[in-house]
Amino acid sequence: MAERSFPLPDLGEGLIDATILEWLVEPGQWVERNTPIVEVETTKSAIELPSPIAGTVKTLHGEDGDTVNVGDPLITFEVSDDEAGIVGTVPQEQKKERRVRLSKKN
Amino acid sequence: MTETLVPQGAVPTAQSLSTQQALNRAMRDILASDPKSLVFGEDVGKLGGVFRVTDGLQAEFGAERVIDTPLAESGILGMAAGLAMAGYRPIPEVQFDGFAYPAMNQLISQIARTNYRTRGTMPMQMVLRIPSYGGIRAPELHGESIESTLAHVPGLKVVSPSNPHQAYHLLRKAHEMPDPVMFMEPKSRYWNRGDVDFDNPGDLAGSLVAHEGEDLTIITWGAMVAKAVEVAELAAEDEVSIEVIDARWLKPLDEEGLVASVAKTGRAVVVHEAPRTAGLGAEIGQLLTERLWGRMQAPVERVTGYDVPTPAGDLEDEYIPGIDRILFGVQRSLEY
Repeated sequence: MAERSFPLPDLGEGLIDATILEWLVEPGQWVERNTPIVEVETTKSAIELPSPIAGTVKTLHGEDGDTVNVGDPLITFEVSDDEAGIVGTVPQEQKKERRVRLSKKN
Repeated sequence: MTETLVPQGAVPTAQSLSTQQALNRAMRDILASDPKSLVFGEDVGKLGGVFRVTDGLQAEFGAERVIDTPLAESGILGMAAGLAMAGYRPIPEVQFDGFAYPAMNQLISQIARTNYRTRGTMPMQMVLRIPSYGGIRAPELHGESIESTLAHVPGLKVVSPSNPHQAYHLLRKAHEMPDPVMFMEPKSRYWNRGDVDFDNPGDLAGSLVAHEGEDLTIITWGAMVAKAVEVAELAAEDEVSIEVIDARWLKPLDEEGLVASVAKTGRAVVVHEAPRTAGLGAEIGQLLTERLWGRMQAPVERVTGYDVPTPAGDLEDEYIPGIDRILFGVQRSLEY
């Protein structure tokens, strides 16, 4: 198993930090990619952040009410060693399927 | 020279690893045993590589030997050239096949010919790791097959492993060789596991027989070896016995090994992902024709990518030779 951490992303509008309103996941929980993981509040609005990967939540870096700076660690996942690279997907083992049959020339 | 595959699980010194892990282990063993070796490229250090192939190496060997470079392949290979001239044995990485293009000037104009230019006094000992070929649904320029481009450059050697055992030992061997070796890793096979026998590398020169057969020889390399073996297993249902040769070394090609198999079967189909025109299929076909003219039962068939830019992930199943396209190629040869 390997760990991957993600920082609070740049939420745009020149904002430099955000306040954690509510964690929507907890350590030990498996989340799919794009599942909302946390609701944060900036000076502009409250938004839900989606999970950047699929994995098991290991650590939440901050509690409800804490302020996190853009670029500081937000969440750490435990991921399988067989996870895909940052680009592309892991090819699935496919069943050998054929339409073409062979025949030797007589 | 040909050899048979190391039997799976037959030897106690073997360990089951993915190709990704086998390459990681090979670099760890190289860095530990050769103080002149260095690993560098985009994201190889702190991140551990986009495919985790260099995972943990920077933590173990330090940021002065496992180096994150700027996003500039010309600089990566320029640095490799300078280090090789100074007596280091670098293992640079370009993150994807298509990213080798910006480094072609360093490769062709400097690295490939410096030994020649200096009358053999300045060998450019390095291994350029190139995650290669398609099959992982990646964007454009992340699934290219550039082996014939590299094989055409005098002074470069080109090798492509097809399984974890080969990946481990061929990387170690490439590191020991006096010439710059282009090491083409089949990225769609990074996650496939197999036994790596650390103590018994087997013969690492030339090609090897991946599947024995009598009626026809499929010659291929990299990720296509596994597919060709599947085709051979399907062909057996039709009572057609196919031999699959894993070419492994693409420059120089194992002429004797390829000729020996086709002399036995009388028919050859070359399979590669790269575009057809001026691909290595043409080179191998010509080589077999020169050596076996009049002894083959059919012209050498080619099953290849098309003469188009390698498409992005959504279309790659149409581009990369699949089981049916290879079977059609086999049938064309059988019917001739």
